Amino acid sequence: MDSVVLFIAALIVVLGTLFSIVGVVGFIRFPDVYTRLHATGKVGVFGVVLLLIAVVVWEHLSWGRGLILVFFLMLAGPATAHALASAAYRIGLPMKGVERNDLVHTSESKS
Amino acid sequence: MHILQTVFADILYISLLVHLVLISICFWRVWRGENVIDRLMGFELLTTLTLAVLVLLSLISRQIIYIDLGLALAVLGFVGTIALAKYVADDQMF
Repeated sequence: MDSVVLFIAALIVVLGTLFSIVGVVGFIRFPDVYTRLHATGKVGVFGVVLLLIAVVVWEHLSWGRGLILVFFLMLAGPATAHALASAAYRIGLPMKGVERNDLVHTSESKS
Repeated sequence: MHILQTVFADILYISLLVHLVLISICFWRVWRGENVIDRLMGFELLTTLTLAVLVLLSLISRQIIYIDLGLALAVLGFVGTIALAKYVADDQMF
C-alpha cells in the first residue's frame, strides 16, 4: 500500500515538472504578450499544484497547509493573469495576427 | 519498496535541477525583456518557480516548514504583481 502511494507521488511529481517545462518553453517561444501569458498561467495552476498534491499524498501527517496553498494558487493565478493582460492592453501593446478586435468599444479600451 | 524510494529521491533531485534551470531562464528573461509586461510576467513566473523549489525541498527533507515559507512567498508575489500591473496600467498604485 505504501509503495503504491509512493509510485503515485513520483508520477505526479514527473507530471508537474513536465507542465513547468512546457510553460517556460511557451514563455520563451510564443510571439506575443497575450499568448505568452496563456503559457505562463500553466506553471502556476498545473505545475506547482501537482507538486503540492504530491506533498499532500506523500506527507500525510500535515496535509492541511498543502491544501490551503492549492486553494490560494487556484485563486491567485487567474487573477494575476487577468491583471497583467488588462495592463498590457491598456498601455497599448500590439497583438500579432489578430483579425478583429472585440475590445474596441468596451470599457477596457484606452481612455 | 527500497528501490522505489531510491528512484523517488532521484526523481526529486532531477526535478529540483530542472526547476533551477527554469529559474535561470526566467531571470535572463527579466533581464532582457521585450517590454515592461514581459518583465513583469517573468517576475511572476520567478516567484512561482521559487515556490515549486520550496515544495520540492519539503518533499526531499520531509519537513513541512518549507510549505509555510511557500505560502508567505505566494502571497507576497501575488500582491506585488497585482500592484505593479496596476501601477503600469494607471500610472498610480492606489
